[in-house]
Amino acid sequence: MIEFRGVNKWFGALHVLKDITLSVEPREVVVVCGPSGSGKSTLIRCINGLETIKDGDLVVDGQRLGDRATNMTELRTEIGFVFQAFNLYPHKTALENVTLAPIHVRKIARAEAEASGREMLAKVGLADKFNAYPSELSGGQQQRVAIARCLCMRPKIMLFDEPTSALDPEMISEVLDVMVGVAEERMTMMVVTHEMGFARKVAQRVVFMDAGAVVETGTPEEFFSDPKTDRSRAFLSKILRH
Amino acid sequence: MIWFQLQSLMGSYPLALRGLGMTIALSGISLVLGTILGFAFGVLRTSGSRLLDSAIGLWVDLIRGTPFLVQIFLIFFILPELGVELDAFTAGIIALTNLAACFICEIVAAGIRSVPTGQVEAALASGLSQWQRMRQVVLPQAMRVSLPPLVGQYVLLIKDSSVVSAIGLTDLTRVGWLVVQRVPNGLLVFAIVGIGYFAVCYPLILLARRLERRMSAAHGEVQL
Repeated sequence: MIEFRGVNKWFGALHVLKDITLSVEPREVVVVCGPSGSGKSTLIRCINGLETIKDGDLVVDGQRLGDRATNMTELRTEIGFVFQAFNLYPHKTALENVTLAPIHVRKIARAEAEASGREMLAKVGLADKFNAYPSELSGGQQQRVAIARCLCMRPKIMLFDEPTSALDPEMISEVLDVMVGVAEERMTMMVVTHEMGFARKVAQRVVFMDAGAVVETGTPEEFFSDPKTDRSRAFLSKILRH
Repeated sequence: MIWFQLQSLMGSYPLALRGLGMTIALSGISLVLGTILGFAFGVLRTSGSRLLDSAIGLWVDLIRGTPFLVQIFLIFFILPELGVELDAFTAGIIALTNLAACFICEIVAAGIRSVPTGQVEAALASGLSQWQRMRQVVLPQAMRVSLPPLVGQYVLLIKDSSVVSAIGLTDLTRVGWLVVQRVPNGLLVFAIVGIGYFAVCYPLILLARRLERRMSAAHGEVQL
């Protein structure tokens, strides 16, 4: 579904992605972790073209990024992207946020889009917030609207870029619960997160990155109980100590 | 003496109304055209094409850096030399529309730049086209920032329209010049001219203030 082959990227002189080779199968849930600045956000931002790659191949849903034949706008409609900062549209209500792309991009009739928008918002536990503006919602609620906004497009792939990092601790679980629900519906997911409980519960694979390179990949059990490299051991000892 | 002058002034009220009408027509048409053009320029300036950005930027700087009077003279006296016949009203409209477009372009571009990148990325990620991103996500948020200075700019432009009297258009200011030749009381005549402009501008000043106050309270799109 997603395949990186020898992908490199630089920000100026900074080599942010170093020879990444990695593939994600359909219906697979992959968690990407690593210290900050390790390139994990950049990695998933490349998949929907928010960042461009310098060399190597990146094939998403059968289409090679950067090819003339690849229509990036069309491809993006198949990829949901959840941001750390939610990025809801502040001038639109929750319902308008989730129906904007279905109406304008998918060309679904408004009434139909609103019906499935309401259904989706109810599914993420926001049945009473259809007409609330983002500024009237808590962080956890905003992130759940953001996830619903992606799901309303019926995407093939969902990408999450540190979806709980900007949240107060007591709101993290409500967002993770929704994400677990999405994973259980067999969505292809790539999740940048440090929530190791989530990784253990739903991920088929954990990818550990450091300094722009993939250092280690393995099943959650392998990775957490028997990390193979010094870097991953050091990282895990820091985040699992508490 | 004053009483006599006032009476004489009353006699010129048809002329004064014509002047007021000219000022309103000229400003109204130019502001509408200038707003449309200014928005187009503002959107183009931020569209990502460096060539367009610097071309528009240069033009805006040129217009902002020269007196409006000089611009009007250039349009009114130079264009006919090049074979373009213009009456004073058309020349006035062209000059004022151009001036309005340049100022409004900067206000709109600043508003667009104030929209956080995350908003554009979210719109991009959900597959909205460039025009849809602008129309649905960026412009409504840019308008929140731009509307108060935009209305404030309208006030300045209406006052700038007085410069068109220099090419013989009988607007409010020129009516003042004409009347003062018959009624030799400049203070009185131009006080009345001032009141005329103020009557047109004051509602806009109030509107700008109201919008500014709403801006701090509203979370959503601005409703007039």
